[in-house]
Amino acid sequence: MKTDDLAGRIRQARELIAPAIAGCDSPQIETMLRGADMELYLALWNLGEAISVRPELDYADRS
Amino acid sequence: MTSAPPSALGRAARESLFWNQATETMPRARLDALHLHRLQGLARYAYDYSPFYRRKWDAAGLKPQDIRTLEDFKRKVPITDKSEFIQLQQESPPYGPTLALPEDFIVHHCETSGTTGLPLGIPYSMIDTVRYGESWVYGWWGLGIRPADTLYFAFGWGNFAGFWSAYWGARRLGCRVISGGGLDTKGHIQAIQRLKPTVLISTPTFALRMAAVAAEMGVDLVNSSIKYTYHAGEPGPTALPAMRAAIERAWGAKAGELLGIAEVDAMAPGCPNGDGVHLNEMNVFAWSMDPATGGEVADGEIGENIVTAYAQTAQPLLNYRTHDLVRRRASCSCGRTWTKFEGSVLGRTDFMVTVRGTNVYQTAVENILAEVPGVSMHYELVLTREGDNDIMTVRFEPEKSITDKRSLWEEAGKEAAERIHKSLHVRLNVVPVEPGSLSRYELKTKRIFDQRPKEFRRALDR
Repeated sequence: MKTDDLAGRIRQARELIAPAIAGCDSPQIETMLRGADMELYLALWNLGEAISVRPELDYADRS
Repeated sequence: MTSAPPSALGRAARESLFWNQATETMPRARLDALHLHRLQGLARYAYDYSPFYRRKWDAAGLKPQDIRTLEDFKRKVPITDKSEFIQLQQESPPYGPTLALPEDFIVHHCETSGTTGLPLGIPYSMIDTVRYGESWVYGWWGLGIRPADTLYFAFGWGNFAGFWSAYWGARRLGCRVISGGGLDTKGHIQAIQRLKPTVLISTPTFALRMAAVAAEMGVDLVNSSIKYTYHAGEPGPTALPAMRAAIERAWGAKAGELLGIAEVDAMAPGCPNGDGVHLNEMNVFAWSMDPATGGEVADGEIGENIVTAYAQTAQPLLNYRTHDLVRRRASCSCGRTWTKFEGSVLGRTDFMVTVRGTNVYQTAVENILAEVPGVSMHYELVLTREGDNDIMTVRFEPEKSITDKRSLWEEAGKEAAERIHKSLHVRLNVVPVEPGSLSRYELKTKRIFDQRPKEFRRALDR
């Protein structure tokens, strides 16, 4: 798969997870979802995508 | 019907020569554009969330939006130094105003070894630990280490960032970890014989110490399960070719190393060519500075490595002095475009002593000693003061092959003094000492013993 296509898929996955994190009331499941999103974030970062340098605070800003 | 056994990675990934080819071979123009974007974001973040940076930049009249180019970043962003962080942490422990994230986000605490003075506290967020661990894996993969390998960690953990981060890396690669924990050297050898790991993780001098103890036990490590040794924490096989030869001979294994700085990152994994390290440009932005003028030094010339870490969001480090002297190269035959530091660290700006008008760096002396027949890897550099002069005395243990020929000890010392004089244009006292009389260390080996009066030492060395 080309890098651009791969990055596009990863961005879609993050978009799917974001509302699940926002709507979660279980600390265990929310922590897992945040962990999953962190991995997707790092995949984008390490594909050379121009994204935020502070993903942990991005969540805090949204909640 | 037979089928391939399940594997941690698919075939294409397994066959890759790179941990991440997309970025390890990214063209320079694209890397630089990415750095600019990330540095601008990091500058905004540091200014908004770190009281330390806000105060420092306000005093300098700098706002994050003033950074429009990489040149702006290098020239306008104030240089930072470990001494500032240590002082602020001392005034308001544990981290003072250097912390940029709420305590909620801090998942791990480490400390520097304190070999240059007081230890620096290092807070890490979860993502910091993941990024830091990834830096180890680039070098492991380039050397040939794979998820099926087993890493043996030959050290006590403590708060030492170097090997905690190696553990974080092992988790990323997915290989098996065996911790040597609090075993003594003999215990490590026995554990390796019993558990059959394939990779030794240790400081380079401890790998040699283990080899010496194994020989005393009658164990030939060349026939052990170890296929690779990988090192950090002090000059190793990349910086000192003689060290590589000694380790590879003793273990019958391929030796690798990375250049890391506890508070920054395991930032420069070893080049598979074995002659330098490549800066992990996904985690760190770096440039070289002339320590005397503060100006930038061109590629190919020696300068102080100035770093900005993307892997430290808890305690950001921007334009941070490493005091490491490096020679940058823009290209490498291994195919990586990430900046190469030829020979790893060539010297230290802060472990320099002026002897009879000549600047002498610790590493320069170490490089020469490593090549002198009869001089073992166990030596100390002792700094004293006589009148207006700094004096450096080299105290070394003779190699095992000449321990019973005392006359050869003096000859080895004379040869070392001659070589130092020829290369560095300075005469040092080189004195042999009894075999086994110098201290042995599991972690960082203490080489410098500064016995000069306090006023003649730098602040952090007092």
